[in-house]
Amino acid sequence: MGCFFSKKSKRKSDKEERTPTTTTVETATSNAVPLGNNTTDEAPKQYSWDKREKVDPKDYMLTGLKDVTVGRLPSKLNGQQFVIQECENCNIYVFDHSATITIDDCVNCRIFLGPVKGSVFFRDCKDIKCVVACQQFRTRDCKKMEVFLCCATQPIIESSTGMKFGCFQYYYPELAFHFKDAGLSIFNNNWSNIHDFTPVSGENNWSLLPEASAVLDFVPAPDPESEFKSIRISTDPARSIVPLTKGGRRKDSEESCLFVFFSGEYTTANARKLIDEATGKGFVLVQTKEVSMRPEDVKRVFQNSADNLVEWITKGPVIALELNGDGVVEACKNIASEVFSGTKVFVSDNKNTSSRDVDSFFNFADMQMGL
Amino acid sequence: MISHNFPRQQHLTAAVPRSIVKKDVNPLSLEEGPQNHLKENMGLLSILRRLKQSPEQEVRLLLLGLDNAGKTTLLKQLAAEDISHITPTQGFNIKSVQSSGFKLNVWDIGGQRKIRPYWRNYFENTDVVIYVIDSSDRKRFEETSQELAELLEEEKLAAVPLLIFANKQDLMTAMPASDLAESLSLHTIRDRMWQVQACSAVTAEGVQDGMTWVCRNITFRKK
Repeated sequence: MGCFFSKKSKRKSDKEERTPTTTTVETATSNAVPLGNNTTDEAPKQYSWDKREKVDPKDYMLTGLKDVTVGRLPSKLNGQQFVIQECENCNIYVFDHSATITIDDCVNCRIFLGPVKGSVFFRDCKDIKCVVACQQFRTRDCKKMEVFLCCATQPIIESSTGMKFGCFQYYYPELAFHFKDAGLSIFNNNWSNIHDFTPVSGENNWSLLPEASAVLDFVPAPDPESEFKSIRISTDPARSIVPLTKGGRRKDSEESCLFVFFSGEYTTANARKLIDEATGKGFVLVQTKEVSMRPEDVKRVFQNSADNLVEWITKGPVIALELNGDGVVEACKNIASEVFSGTKVFVSDNKNTSSRDVDSFFNFADMQMGL
Repeated sequence: MISHNFPRQQHLTAAVPRSIVKKDVNPLSLEEGPQNHLKENMGLLSILRRLKQSPEQEVRLLLLGLDNAGKTTLLKQLAAEDISHITPTQGFNIKSVQSSGFKLNVWDIGGQRKIRPYWRNYFENTDVVIYVIDSSDRKRFEETSQELAELLEEEKLAAVPLLIFANKQDLMTAMPASDLAESLSLHTIRDRMWQVQACSAVTAEGVQDGMTWVCRNITFRKK
């Protein structure tokens, strides 16, 4: 291996592989920036981002606004990135799905963020009340935030205090489609188990909002004079696109029931119907999961009932629900036979074994959906 | 895939986790001992065993970068796995991937500010550092530039080849790789092989090109 000077240019199409060197690189022209000191001198590759139409980044940013109502209407973002920065005393509504959203240096704002395919990241924000749906939720250096959250993975906070969390509750006509477009399941919501990277002994940097918290007390409906007046919002818990779950809050009863719908045309609608039936009878929805199962998972999770079910898990992900309350197992069995007689479901058989059903399933789901 | 979360109190322990990478053992390093002839036979045995094994080389790759850069998404893409459900990394993740005749052991380390001091626990025996940058997060360019600069001063990473993934090129506000290279003053790096590769981890575009560079530069690492 020798040492020699090589003039490297991005435009060179010499395909021969050179002996790697550690010498410095001369730029061929003042415009060509070296991308490496050991390239193979193939013609520089063109990627999709080199060929696409250039856009003005400012169309995807809200910067330095004060005392206004602002945001994006449905189909105006259409899955792109969005950036919010240095806003104060604003009502911000993003009624569309997006790739990722960062919110920096905002104070005293009320924010709605429609389904985000990737991460939502709040940095250096203070006094924020928001409603957010995303795959990842992150904060750093934030203070006093109240968040109604739907998050597909465990939310994390860092160097943040006074953080409060509740379950996402929201409806507008296009919202269900936005969830689909963002690849988010309404049944995968880890809103209540937050990981704190900077815990302080003797204190809590985060807590849960009171159960009866009403979203409109935190994030008001848009000003009827604004561009958002046409959006027919509802924050009625019963209409929420994301089912309300008790999450980590303490359960009222010792008795829980596992109810599982197998993949089919109406699985989501059926799950919602069950929730309505059960909550109508006074039972509580603790948690839900939408997850794919493999044949080897079935035996472990469903134990004695497993044999019949193996073929049903191959058709698509299952939707599982944990319901809680005295008498819930009997009630669910009745609902299954009365309302879902033609549908393939699993219901806990009796209240002595139902807790085990719940644990088996949700432990499996947590493992499956962790890495 | 092995995923490691640090203990409940969410502090990284200072101890380096047990390495799962087989270290190359020199079968001829015979130890002093009361039964040297036995050891000699054992050395020969291990030579024979090694001849039988596949000759593929194991390589240790370290994935570093700020939190939210896309490291874990990259890791999942390398393993051709689903990326729609990725949790922010609390500790680290490891995956073994076959590529270009190498067995790549990829260590993906959490990048939150609080846990960056623990990156140094993973430096030893690294063959290539892959530094991932969120090209669309302009607010944190200085921060990631600073972290990268500190990495380049690290004794244990001296002369280790460096691949920089300019990630998230699919996003509208993403800075092009060449602009990034310029603002990071990468051309001043004199002591190692380096390369900037534009990519989008969520679509996998550009990822294989970066890994090809990695594999080409493993053999020439200065020891």
